[in-house]
Amino acid sequence: MRETIAEPIDPEDERIEVGIAIVGAGPAGLACAIRLGQLLEEQPERAKRLGDVPVAVIEKAKQPGAHALSGAVVNPRSLRQLFDGRRRLAEMPFFGEVREESVYLLTRHNALRIPAPPTMRNHGNYVASLSRLCRWLAEEAEAAGAMILPETSATKLLVADGRVRGIRTGDRGRGRQGEPLANFEPGSDVIARVTILCEGTQGHLTGVAIDRFGLAGENPQVWALGVKEVWRVARPLDRVIHTMGWPLRSSPKYREFGGSFIYPLGDDMITLGMVVGLDYRDANLSVHDLLQELKTHPLVRELLEGGERLEWGAKTIPEGGFVALPNRLHAPGVLVCGDGAGFVNVPALKGIHYAVESGRLAAEAAFAALGRGMTPWAPGALAGYDEAVRSSFIWKDLEEVRNMRQAFGHGFWRGGALAGVMTASKGHLPPGNARTERDADQELIFSGRASDYPAPDGRLTFDKLSSVFASGNKTRDDQPNHIRVQTRVPLVLGHAWERMCPAQVYETQSAGSDGLVSVQVTPSNCVQCGAISAKGGRLTPPEGGSGPEYSLT
Amino acid sequence: MSTLVFLEHHEGAFVKNALGVLAKAASLGDDAHSVVVGSGVRDLAATGGKFGASTVLVADDQQLAAPLPQPRVDVLAKLVRDRGYDTVLFGQSVLAADVAAGLAARLDAGLNWDLVDLVNEDGRLVGKRPALQDSVHVDVGWKGEPRLALFRSGVFDPAETGREAQIEDVEVELEDFSTGATMVEQAHAESEGPSIEDADIIVAGGRGLGAPENFKLCEELAQALGGAVAATRAVVDAGWYPYSAQVGQTGKAVSPKLYVAVGISGAIQHKVGMQSSQTIVAINKDPNAPIFEFADLAVVGDLHEIVPELTQLVKERRG
Repeated sequence: MRETIAEPIDPEDERIEVGIAIVGAGPAGLACAIRLGQLLEEQPERAKRLGDVPVAVIEKAKQPGAHALSGAVVNPRSLRQLFDGRRRLAEMPFFGEVREESVYLLTRHNALRIPAPPTMRNHGNYVASLSRLCRWLAEEAEAAGAMILPETSATKLLVADGRVRGIRTGDRGRGRQGEPLANFEPGSDVIARVTILCEGTQGHLTGVAIDRFGLAGENPQVWALGVKEVWRVARPLDRVIHTMGWPLRSSPKYREFGGSFIYPLGDDMITLGMVVGLDYRDANLSVHDLLQELKTHPLVRELLEGGERLEWGAKTIPEGGFVALPNRLHAPGVLVCGDGAGFVNVPALKGIHYAVESGRLAAEAAFAALGRGMTPWAPGALAGYDEAVRSSFIWKDLEEVRNMRQAFGHGFWRGGALAGVMTASKGHLPPGNARTERDADQELIFSGRASDYPAPDGRLTFDKLSSVFASGNKTRDDQPNHIRVQTRVPLVLGHAWERMCPAQVYETQSAGSDGLVSVQVTPSNCVQCGAISAKGGRLTPPEGGSGPEYSLT
Repeated sequence: MSTLVFLEHHEGAFVKNALGVLAKAASLGDDAHSVVVGSGVRDLAATGGKFGASTVLVADDQQLAAPLPQPRVDVLAKLVRDRGYDTVLFGQSVLAADVAAGLAARLDAGLNWDLVDLVNEDGRLVGKRPALQDSVHVDVGWKGEPRLALFRSGVFDPAETGREAQIEDVEVELEDFSTGATMVEQAHAESEGPSIEDADIIVAGGRGLGAPENFKLCEELAQALGGAVAATRAVVDAGWYPYSAQVGQTGKAVSPKLYVAVGISGAIQHKVGMQSSQTIVAINKDPNAPIFEFADLAVVGDLHEIVPELTQLVKERRG
């Protein structure tokens, strides 16, 4: 715990004091900053009491959006609400409204068009690059008065007297063994009246806060891994496409739940990706290579013909849904938002609008707790946030689909049938809550499926290192390892990590006589997707500014 | 167009990269000026004409001895103000980047950085800047003057024109705030033989060597050829060779005349650091290794047999 939680240590005059510290410049954190800016503009005397920096947003990436990755088809309702007439949807950097959509069930050589399940209908939604949307939101947040601190990782949660006092930023310029190099700069304590954690999937400090304050829900969180590419293409795509089936296998033995998405980004680009639940069992499964395989399907190959890959990226998605939500979203001095809290609707493939909505509601709750004579860190002072989320559409939506993800643990066909019943009954049938099981607890098997992955040709299909390059990742190599894993593990687990990681961070050596293998870790390849945290290791934030530099994902 | 090139020097010699930028400037118009800033640099400055400068300005002052940026910003800012240069060019280095950025702030001028080329398109200067991981070059320009540009290391070769430059001393006036910093210590990483950035011949080893002690094969070949030894990230990561020898995206970019890649698969992260080498020879046992797609000479075979034999042959020829 000492690595992730601490009391403030900087002398008082060296601390960075801010009013509200938001961790993460994603859709939740930026929406939160924008809403706070609006509220503080309405009540300038409250802004004055918050000091020189009323709102700070701490972001580990080179710039806002550089670590943001999603499909994405965005439900615009919460952005509309956030800007409330100040900005029109037409001013936001979307790639157009969804007008046509197709869902296919794939086999190796064929594609059967099926009706879109009701949860997946996208009329009235907008295609976006989340990375680009976040850059735009960051400009809006700055215009609203927030100070954005990029290239700054939040590594420790500052806790004193039973309440969160802020965060500590990571050191910079340490060598591989942790030794200070010539350009060493120690991190700083950022002290805030309220700390709002909007770290997204696998939130580092979010996990710390959940443990420290007992916020965990009844069920463990589970994740999926999404890997995507952006292509420049010769011919425009006129609709959004989702596929199910191949290259995943339908048998419950493998527990392979997921599918692909293919969206148009304007007239000359396409984004496509593959998402697979990390409760899969096959140690040979590699989402990176499944995406390469998907591109060899006639349906997909034709779309990409004559095109060129521009960018690549990967990220996990919290999939536990309603039953895995934290039991509380606040603790003294701290709030939890967005993907970090697990606000994702898996059957609808949506989470961005929940992130924006929860960020907005967190801003309002924090603002209310900062009124004259109020103590925002008193127990229950931030409880208004929980109430607001529970009476919002976030709660209602997630409750309706609460058991759908788990149904697919029974395999594709039975899961699909159960999902139909749940949709028709708006979540009332079957009654009760299905449980989730930790991804890392799934027993692993070998299937030999890796021999099907296509050999990279450098045009349509790529190896992992080329993909890492296309993510823009040029992390400094000689920094301390930010990935906590055992380096002597059972053979099947070592292989599972090696295949799972889309960025070739893990390589296993041959097995010793004890049946264990050594795992060689190359942390500088890491694109911080978070898959390792779901499968038995732990990702922590590396030096600020490290990792991918997404711009179109 | 009147162009000034910042001619950086270290230990009595011009930096190759800065000379490359000067050659580029000279090729765009016949009147490229350059400035040499330092202490006791007049003799060195006199040789600047050889590399294409028509006029070499010399700012020689004891206060300029240490390679600190702010006093250099003072010198350049005064030159631009007094003489009306509309374009100031720099070759990428830690010092040059500091000076360029400082000058941009001082003059409120636009700075395009990481350029790989500069062309004159119908009287307009257009910079070429790589984007999207070097997959495309975008055109960049300037909204006003002076135009400042910082060029990526190694993109232009110095050209000896052999002309005589006019040498002119300039007055040095430093701002108070520019003399606040003093250099306490200057340290160098010690290495034998030429550094990989300056070497004409590089022998680079990768994981195909199999074990750290096998780097000896590369060292022997490099010694026979009179070159330097480089390494891939994978072997530096594994602790087989020092980081200072790492070539690639997160290491150094090199462009020697000859690059011998021994046991290197040729991942794109390595390729971007050495692809501008004039001749690439690759030795690898895997015929499908990506390096063979951009090697000029591909040798498929066991490096443990080939490299010692090659070293022996080179020694015999040279001996």
